Amino acid sequence: MNKIPATAPESPKMPILRVPPPAPAQPGSNRFDMEDIFHALNLGVCVVDDCGKILLWNNWIAKHSNIKEAEALNQQLEKVFTEPVSPAFLAALKNTLTYRLPVVLSTALHRAPLPLYNAHGTQQQTRMYQSITITPIQSQLSESCCLIQITDSSPSIKREKILRSHSEILKKEATTDSLTDICNRRFFDAHYEMAVADAKRRKHSLSVFMVDIDFFKSYNDYYGHMAGDNVIKLVANALKSQLSRATDIVARYGGEEFVLVMPHLPQQVAEQFAEKLRNAVLNLEIPHLKSRPFNQITISIGLYTGIPGNGDSLLNKADVALYQAKLKGRNRYISLPLCETEEYLEQ
Amino acid sequence: MDSPIKKLLIVDDSKVSRMLIRSHILARRPEWIISEAACGEEAIALIDNDLPDYCTMDINMPGISGTDAAERMLSKYPSIKIVIFSANIQETHQERARLLGTILVAKPVTEKSITLALNCFSDSK
Amino acid sequence: MSSLSELHLDALAEVFSIGAGRAALSLSEIVGDEVRISVPSVQIINSEDINSATLSLNNGRFGAVNQHFRGPFNAEAVLLFTEDQALKIVGDMMGSQMSIDELAEFEHEAMCELGNIILNACLSAMADIFSFTLESSLPDYAVASADEILHRLKENSTQPYIMVLHIDLTIEKRHTAGNLVFLLSSASLDNLVSHLDQFLGNIT
Repeated sequence: MNKIPATAPESPKMPILRVPPPAPAQPGSNRFDMEDIFHALNLGVCVVDDCGKILLWNNWIAKHSNIKEAEALNQQLEKVFTEPVSPAFLAALKNTLTYRLPVVLSTALHRAPLPLYNAHGTQQQTRMYQSITITPIQSQLSESCCLIQITDSSPSIKREKILRSHSEILKKEATTDSLTDICNRRFFDAHYEMAVADAKRRKHSLSVFMVDIDFFKSYNDYYGHMAGDNVIKLVANALKSQLSRATDIVARYGGEEFVLVMPHLPQQVAEQFAEKLRNAVLNLEIPHLKSRPFNQITISIGLYTGIPGNGDSLLNKADVALYQAKLKGRNRYISLPLCETEEYLEQ
Repeated sequence: MDSPIKKLLIVDDSKVSRMLIRSHILARRPEWIISEAACGEEAIALIDNDLPDYCTMDINMPGISGTDAAERMLSKYPSIKIVIFSANIQETHQERARLLGTILVAKPVTEKSITLALNCFSDSK
Repeated sequence: MSSLSELHLDALAEVFSIGAGRAALSLSEIVGDEVRISVPSVQIINSEDINSATLSLNNGRFGAVNQHFRGPFNAEAVLLFTEDQALKIVGDMMGSQMSIDELAEFEHEAMCELGNIILNACLSAMADIFSFTLESSLPDYAVASADEILHRLKENSTQPYIMVLHIDLTIEKRHTAGNLVFLLSSASLDNLVSHLDQFLGNIT
């Protein structure tokens, strides 16, 4: 193997630590004891020989590992800790020792390769996030060694967590309808899918309410879009205020259409709830001169209650019910499936 | 009694790699007859006319992969003993080699890796 | 330098494919998924002719990881990634749900590591095959346009030729693919060629 002569000129970028020659002393060069500086460094510094035996162990690493210098020196690095060292770290160390090439272990990809902690003796015992570099160096006795430098990257991890919470805000924005502040269609679709799967599994019923504002187009044409938007907001609020269980949601389904999903209600109770929704909007008493014969904003509701099967979706069935409610004169709910007496009356 | 003269087919898209394998093998088994193919398709076509006893197979080559080529060769001629010689030694390839009833030897081609291949060849007898 | 034969290039391609295999193994251990790295071509190009167009690089931002190394030949190796590909690769390697913007926080160090893994794997393969030892600086990472990076590389080099490798990297199950460009500029590529000759002389 061709070794590079020790006299090879060093490029200024080489991060190779050289212990200064003992003599002759340059003016000022002996002003500091290198050992003092080494122990005062605010980063972990450790040197191992080509067998992985610890030759240097500074105060920083002693403090964060809770292993004193005297206990660490001449021990194998992977055995000095009571907890395991990550395999990636050991592989990187082995590579550096074999090929004499420097290695970077980033926080992003490795988090906490070594069992180092920020607060020893406290309840909180989570490993410090680290970023590590391993550089080959030569001792003055021409031994091949590795310099391991460790920095605490917890502060940047905290920044990441802040960024993550920002992304949660973004996520909320992605699931909320900007006009009404209730759930949007995208969120509803995802929620509905889960609610159906859950109801199927537990063999519970699911009630789907399709809600549509009556004569909304004429309202918009007569009162203007701004007023129309405001009605949508008020109706959304009125519907939302009727919900009390965590399992129930209301979402804006389309322009002036809303949808509610509520699990595990007997059909009769669901019908009472539909009536409550209709009244909640009626009680807003929003004038609507183009709505005959009510002269105010009303809603029609299509309700379907049942255990989801593999056939036609509950949403489609609720839509059919809504269509019937519109046909029958609006400002009402139609509940499906019809009970026997109602079916009889229908015929 | 088996003849000591064996036929080896080297399949590798790198000429240098084929030269390396050839020179290492001939240093140890000077009597062997060696042929070469630069891709899987060529190897498959070649063995119909001249069936080798052994084969070294690279994985990453233009055309079909070495493991696919090995699988096709073995389904037609199960007597060939194939060793996969590759720079890619991830678990999926090791597993694939095992399923083919062979071993994966890590490149570079050195005395050590050639020894592994030769041991695998002689084990099969 | 212009005397590189087909066989020289083939030998270099083999060296780098072994390096790529090693890098893929290291990366797959980090991502827990199969990683494929291949080196479809090795070229020696006159540095006069090197620009973003000849390297088929677009106008976007590139991440460049570079390491200086010394040994039988001294060189600077630069690995170029397009910035968004780089972020995607790092994102996949981290296996987190973070957005590209959030990833930027970790980009610098993670890209240094990714580049370091690939560069070290190639250098160690070279060292093994040619039986020499190389020393290297720690990796640096910078984001710039391809032409800015190439300009700086050419300024630092006194050699008329630069070795260019195109590297394809795929993380199998996540369908992430990236093309990397590996540039090697050396004041002593002739020394590399003499090692190649020596190596080829041993087997022919």
